[in-house]
Amino acid sequence: MKTIKRKQQLAGWGFLLPASLLIVIMSFYPILQAIFMSLKTGSSANMQWANPLTYNYTRMFKDALFLRSVGNTFLYLIIQVPIMLILAILLAQLLNNKDLKFKGLFRTMVFLPCATALVSYALIFKSLFATQGLMNTILVNLGIFETNYNFLGNTNSAKAIIIIALLWRWTGYNMVFYLAGLQNIEYSVYEAAKIDGANAWKTFWFITVPLLKPTIIMTVIMSINGTLQLFDESVNLTSGGPANSTITMSHYIWNNSLGQGVANFGYASAMAFFIFVLVAILSGISMKVGDKRD
Amino acid sequence: MKKKLLSLMLAGALAVTAFAGCGGSGDTTSDSSSDSATASEDENTLTVYAWDANFNIPALKAAEAAYKEKNPDFVLNIEEQSQSSDVEDAVTLAGSSGDYSTLPDIVLFQDHYIQKYVADYPDAWNNMDGADIDWSDFGAEKLSYSTVDGTHYGVPVDNGTVIFAYRVDILEECGYTIDDVTGITWDRFIEIGKEVYAKTGKYLLSMDGDGNDLPYMMLQAEGASQFNEDGTPNLTSDTVKDIIEVITTMSKENVLYLANDWSDYTDQTIMGDMVAGVMNGNWIIPTIEQVEANSGKWEITSMPTLSGEEGYASNGGSSLYITSNCKNVELAQDFLAYTFGGGDGAVATYDAALTDGGVITCCLSAGESEVYQQGVAYFNDQAIYSKIVEMGGNVKTVTQSDYHYPARSLVAAAIININSGADLDSELAGAQEQLEFEMGQ
Repeated sequence: MKTIKRKQQLAGWGFLLPASLLIVIMSFYPILQAIFMSLKTGSSANMQWANPLTYNYTRMFKDALFLRSVGNTFLYLIIQVPIMLILAILLAQLLNNKDLKFKGLFRTMVFLPCATALVSYALIFKSLFATQGLMNTILVNLGIFETNYNFLGNTNSAKAIIIIALLWRWTGYNMVFYLAGLQNIEYSVYEAAKIDGANAWKTFWFITVPLLKPTIIMTVIMSINGTLQLFDESVNLTSGGPANSTITMSHYIWNNSLGQGVANFGYASAMAFFIFVLVAILSGISMKVGDKRD
Repeated sequence: MKKKLLSLMLAGALAVTAFAGCGGSGDTTSDSSSDSATASEDENTLTVYAWDANFNIPALKAAEAAYKEKNPDFVLNIEEQSQSSDVEDAVTLAGSSGDYSTLPDIVLFQDHYIQKYVADYPDAWNNMDGADIDWSDFGAEKLSYSTVDGTHYGVPVDNGTVIFAYRVDILEECGYTIDDVTGITWDRFIEIGKEVYAKTGKYLLSMDGDGNDLPYMMLQAEGASQFNEDGTPNLTSDTVKDIIEVITTMSKENVLYLANDWSDYTDQTIMGDMVAGVMNGNWIIPTIEQVEANSGKWEITSMPTLSGEEGYASNGGSSLYITSNCKNVELAQDFLAYTFGGGDGAVATYDAALTDGGVITCCLSAGESEVYQQGVAYFNDQAIYSKIVEMGGNVKTVTQSDYHYPARSLVAAAIININSGADLDSELAGAQEQLEFEMGQ
């Protein structure tokens, strides 16, 4: 008896071992190295321990540009994530309608933006909103604008474009999770609500939302995580401009490592760990807020 | 049974693909070009990283052809990179990891980087001490980039001399000739520019507002720099303020169009025929020539300055450097000396580089050849190439810094902010402070 159990255990570990080893070598070891690197300064070929050790970590809070990138990222987070998730849940609700025709077609259409690569969609938005681009042509011909407007050359409109692009790209992605969540809710629950005389809004608010809660928490965490690490849109759509008004944290980290040839890897790693801590804190909060089991 | 066969086949396919990576490295000789080529083992072969198929690559091919005269077995393995930053990233990564074996024998990169690379990764380079090159044959300004503490590290390839190209037909329409815009003050330039915009709707100048090279070029024409001699930033000097004042005035008066980014600058303003003047390093010429309809309507001259003297500057040239991964340093040095370095093959190299790619020599003697004296049809039969070589000799040497690109983006951001209403003094002070901060590492 014992030997069989032992054998099974050994086999289990045997199966786990290759993948675990790969994760340790390819993922955990570099993370550890990055922690050490974030405590060092100097030329990237010959890095020295910083004096004091936390030098890079205290430095970033005196860096006006980094603080601005944090501000920009949080602006995207606060405006874009709620709009996106509400839109996604409404779309999911619509597309979950049993009597809807061409359901598959509509679902595919909403999800399709997620199939485009990040760089290519950023470039497409860039040409759409260029001064001589399609949007300007349409708006001028409709008489809404008198002359072409430089969307990506003005601070506020450039930020708005990034948010619109993010909404376009990610709403469908989140909608799919909600759709999956909605499929798991028994139709009989809705029938019972109908018999009790609940209207559509009440059904949505008191049945759908509570039952979808695990899915909502998951999408909130994923969106926070994704937005804090936003990179492609900032680099490709606006290249952080005009005047660094749309630069994100990850983009600034890139500028400090390879982007502008300064190779400041210690400082860049420290900022990356700052994002890591931020993601952990924000995810922790949303998990605590969502979890009412106690 | 069928299922078993299928699964066996799938497993087989998996195994084959899994080991394909290991097997491939066994026969590097047969497909060395597709492998990520590093330094060459063969004694007559050199590998080089370069970018721009229309500009730098033809120049290197020209050099290879020229050197074959001396060494018929010579092969130059040109690894084309999609953009200059790919080469720079390769150097940074190899230098940071201390593993230079990923580098090719020779790399081509932009002039502003070498000082930092030598300081940060001193072991990554082979200097040019053993090469037979007459350094006095190069402009002092160009050499100042690739010389560190008196040691030459690179061989200049493309001369980044700034040209100011004007549409003479448009100038004529407004009652001016090319001489009227040569050796003028920026104030006079603005007057003419306003008139040109009012009459023709064309801007007299455009630039990429994000990676704005105007401040650097205009300061160099004054003999000034954004940095003090001790390397500290100097963004609040009176000259810098005057220059930024000129730039913001120009953009307010519709004399200067600041594009959102580089592709807007080249595609929209220059190729989109929005401008009557282009000022940049001479590598911009192929871009100007894209608009075939305007052939014969352009001419080039020097830059305006604050005082009204003729201004000369250089921007964005590049040089070739031998890495420490090179197994055959003598061959590499001899190749560079013979071709780009002004040796016996220099005239052949640079003549072909000019006709095929438009790369203009930094080597003064090679600029005296026949090809350089010929008029260029696109530029109204003006002999622009000899003019550029001549202007290149007049460029003043100014203090360079490893932080050229951070400084450039901070000043560019300041200009955008000033244009949208911010105060000039406080913006420049802010840029100075941020640059000092970034350099404080």
